[in-house]
Amino acid sequence: MTYYHTQIQKLRQQLYSKDYLIQQVIQAKHFIDDNFAEKIDLNNIAATAFLSKFHFIRSFKILYGITPYQYLMAVRIKHAKQLLLTSKNITEVCIAVGFESVTYFIGLFKKMTGLTPDLYRRKKQLSRMDLIKV
Amino acid sequence: MKIKITSVLVDDQDKALKFYTEILGFVKKTEVPLGEHKWLTVVSREEQDGVELLLEPMGFAPAKIYQKALFEAGIPLTAFNVDNIDQEYERLKNLGVIFSIAPAQMGPVKLAVLNDTCGNNIQLVQMI
Repeated sequence: MTYYHTQIQKLRQQLYSKDYLIQQVIQAKHFIDDNFAEKIDLNNIAATAFLSKFHFIRSFKILYGITPYQYLMAVRIKHAKQLLLTSKNITEVCIAVGFESVTYFIGLFKKMTGLTPDLYRRKKQLSRMDLIKV
Repeated sequence: MKIKITSVLVDDQDKALKFYTEILGFVKKTEVPLGEHKWLTVVSREEQDGVELLLEPMGFAPAKIYQKALFEAGIPLTAFNVDNIDQEYERLKNLGVIFSIAPAQMGPVKLAVLNDTCGNNIQLVQMI
């Protein structure tokens, strides 16, 4: 066994020995992946992991480095980026990915990508045109 | 300032290009002659406008010492994300790729480590 393999096993033992708990949190993450566009909240998500809200947030952050809410927002923005390449307008994209407020969506999108949804779309369209020219 | 490029040290650029394209599935992006060597990059087929991977020759002798030390310790030089590591593992094994670590779960990820035949261990990672 290589040095690296030994280190991996040590780390696994140290950080990820509670296999059942890890599987529950991963299950909850999959729930977010499958239901991000719905009106879901922490109570729904924690329930899928059979954990209390507090325990769930703590376990999720240990595994993924971010809270479940931050992860949900990241998944929504990731899907929004894909939808912005279609003919849907900003409001339609906002609603399609589960946000209720267009203002909140635009603010969060800019915070996470550095661009407003409109600028992001325009930048992508320009770069597509450059690729076609080449 | 943008991050547009990363690199792997390789002992033979032509051999590396063959492995990284024909086996791993990357696509050649740029090839610019630079005397003895070349500026040679590949990109992911799925993100051809994304970060480029430079297949970097080791003209500087200490780089070989560094690469050899990492390799012998089993330490990956870099890691690539995959959607399905079990499928990728089977596909690559069928193409003759040698793995030092078969797909194994590590908390929220599954990882595997392969030999790129150019002096490096490369890690594959799937977010579960």
